[in-house]
Amino acid sequence: MTKYIIKRLIGMIPTLFIIVTLSFFIVRIAPGGPFDGERALPEAVKRNIEAKYHMDEPLLMQYGRYMFDVIRGDLGPSYKYKDYDVNTLIAGSLPNSIVLGSMAMAVALVFGISLGVLAAVKQNTLLDYIPMCLAAFGLSIPLFVFAPLLQQVFAMTLGWFPTTGWFMSSDAPLRTALLPTVALSFAYYADIARLTRSSMVETLRSDYIRTARAKGMKNSTIIWKHAMKGAMLPVVSYLGPAFAGILTGSIVVEQVFLVPGLGKFFVQSSFNRDYTLIVGVVIVYSVILIVMNFIVDIVYAYLDPRISYK
Amino acid sequence: MALLKKNKKNESATNEFDQVIVGTSLTKEAWKRLQKNKLAVVGGIIVIIYALVAICADLLPLYPYDQAITSHRNLRPSLTKTAGELMLEQEMKNLFFQAWRGGRLEVPDEEDALIEQWVRESKTNKVWDLLYERGMAALEDGSFTWSSSEQRRIDNVLEDIETETLITIDSVSADLGDGMKRIDDMSYDELVSLYAGLLGTDVATVESSLYNEVSATVSNELRANDSTLSGEDLTASIEMEMDAMGRDGFENRASQNLVAYIEQLAQRGASSDVNALISSGDAVLPYKGVFDLSSGLHVELEVSRMHDRHYYCGTDYLGRDLLSRIIYGSQISIAIGIVGTVTSIFIGILVGALAGYLGGKVDYYLMRFVDIMYGLPYMLLVIICMAIFGRNIVNLFFALALVSWLTIARMVRGQIMSLKNQEYVEAARSMGAGTMHIIFRHMIPNSLSVIIVYSTIRIPAFIMQESFLSFLGLGVQAPYASWGSLIGDAVSSMSLYPYKLLIPSIVMVVFLFSMNFLGDGLRDAFDPQSKNQL
Repeated sequence: MTKYIIKRLIGMIPTLFIIVTLSFFIVRIAPGGPFDGERALPEAVKRNIEAKYHMDEPLLMQYGRYMFDVIRGDLGPSYKYKDYDVNTLIAGSLPNSIVLGSMAMAVALVFGISLGVLAAVKQNTLLDYIPMCLAAFGLSIPLFVFAPLLQQVFAMTLGWFPTTGWFMSSDAPLRTALLPTVALSFAYYADIARLTRSSMVETLRSDYIRTARAKGMKNSTIIWKHAMKGAMLPVVSYLGPAFAGILTGSIVVEQVFLVPGLGKFFVQSSFNRDYTLIVGVVIVYSVILIVMNFIVDIVYAYLDPRISYK
Repeated sequence: MALLKKNKKNESATNEFDQVIVGTSLTKEAWKRLQKNKLAVVGGIIVIIYALVAICADLLPLYPYDQAITSHRNLRPSLTKTAGELMLEQEMKNLFFQAWRGGRLEVPDEEDALIEQWVRESKTNKVWDLLYERGMAALEDGSFTWSSSEQRRIDNVLEDIETETLITIDSVSADLGDGMKRIDDMSYDELVSLYAGLLGTDVATVESSLYNEVSATVSNELRANDSTLSGEDLTASIEMEMDAMGRDGFENRASQNLVAYIEQLAQRGASSDVNALISSGDAVLPYKGVFDLSSGLHVELEVSRMHDRHYYCGTDYLGRDLLSRIIYGSQISIAIGIVGTVTSIFIGILVGALAGYLGGKVDYYLMRFVDIMYGLPYMLLVIICMAIFGRNIVNLFFALALVSWLTIARMVRGQIMSLKNQEYVEAARSMGAGTMHIIFRHMIPNSLSVIIVYSTIRIPAFIMQESFLSFLGLGVQAPYASWGSLIGDAVSSMSLYPYKLLIPSIVMVVFLFSMNFLGDGLRDAFDPQSKNQL
């Protein structure tokens, strides 16, 4: 097991390397630079600024310098937010995004799995149809439609929740956090519930469950102890893509509910060509994603004894 | 011939009672299963309706999707009222509100408090609606009358509604010595000489000013792509672009400008005639007419009352018809969904088939590459690409297609690997068929049903991604629209104009719903075993 983990950890390095390199060069080969505002700067001023940020050096040298900094954990200064470096900007906003994302993931998992199991156990009853209808809805409604609609209906028309804001800095934290979390988690609830239901239905038909029933075990023990472990495999392997989706999805939710998270920086910095900030945010997102994928793989290996840790 | 038929019958299978067994193909069987799935059938019908509407958008009686009428900004959807009536209603709502503020329009005390509260919560629509209702009632029973300045504003609106017309040019033609010819069909030289004749200048002047205009457009385009260009660099690049464009390219662009100018001239020339006709009462609006102008132009045009339009879905912040924007937006969204899926399937088939058939090192490296691409937060890379390489439909399409072939590649690889050792492949190989022939003639057609089913599931995902980018302002750009950009535009003003958000959202969600049901149904029909996969 340890060997497997170490092997996977080493395997993460080339992926990260490719991501950093790719985003570094994409933003730099594109036309336009961070210091081309509406007003053209005098040539000398521009050259000075570029010299300060080492942008007058050959591209490969900049790349080498940047890589060296990144390895030391320094993502460089921001080009647009003067006097800030990327580390500070990310440190300020990343926690909000992480809290929002993990709350959404937790909600999606809890509701998706429990309602999925319920639907599988009570097949073709109302308890099956309602959660699955909800899931079909969640599959078809895009996040950027769902989030504004939630806001419109529950915050503006009914006035039950605050329209915008971030719960960490509000006086009614739970009520503020509810809408963004529900919005972000809905699509993943849908997928998880459908996956759980179908794999649970299949597992409940398998031989070892029949054996357990024949032994006269309690139904709840069979479902939660025996069937659950096998039925969770497709769900666990889905979690990797789900994390990626929640990362991009949080950009929309942060924009609609004005959550001060990382997503805002990402879109803005791409428009501003704030090179270091773009690459920094991409690195952070990728690290989160890769670590999550890693954890998912470990959990998968743990759940499925057929997988050998080579 | 008869013999052949008989032979065929003898070959067909019979059961133990000597009855002929009619075999059904996989497709037929699947089609039967699909028809049993009511949801999938309904989904399929809705998808077909959407596709028909999107394809026939040009034939439908829609207002132009990019025609902005300033006085029609932000009109609410209405099935019965015309744009003019809505404008009047909006004006009166504003005036009633001001009158209420000034204390001239009186409402019961509890409503006063309610309105105060709504104003604080910025529920403007509720305030307007209530005051409009009360105000109209007060006007009716005489307890409220307009002041003279208010009356003047209302009269202005009424007069505008009564008099303002919209002239749409259908075609302009002119006689250049060999009979009437439409300007759309004219060559560049003919257009130049016609325009020079209209302006009363010589051809050389027109050509030089055209050259300047085109190079100005080129310069704008260059600077939009690369804002660092300036001074000598810019001049040099403009010259380079103009050279690259060549004489044909230049004439093409210049002709477009000329057609627009001549149409403008024609409209200006005709408008006095039109107005005379209308004021004399000879023309009943909407009026379709043909005018021969003194300048020799022959104009076919349509005159309609500007404010007689019906906006069944309302208008946007520039006064463009939302209904036609939604329909043309559907065209773009669906087209991107289909074309993008097809492209990603082509790439996926190529990579997957090569990896699966060749195996060994090729397979290993191609699949490691796919694995690494899977690990990338690719939506982020797409966002960067769109933000940096310019936001247009072509870039959007490439950015999406280039990252969405991964799953299909894996799938095709699996299919090919399982087909590789089948007898018929071996037979083909033993007869000397080449690798490419075997892959594309024998194996791909055999795995096509899986691919087609998967692509039906991909299309809604593709549309969602496109719309996601457009929502962020990174996708389709004005004057074009897509579902995503319509929704994105509406979000900022949704409390005031909820219809702008709701209508495109509903249109989009219904399509995605149907597409998902159809995809699920197709998958279940073609491959009943896979029912338990997502």
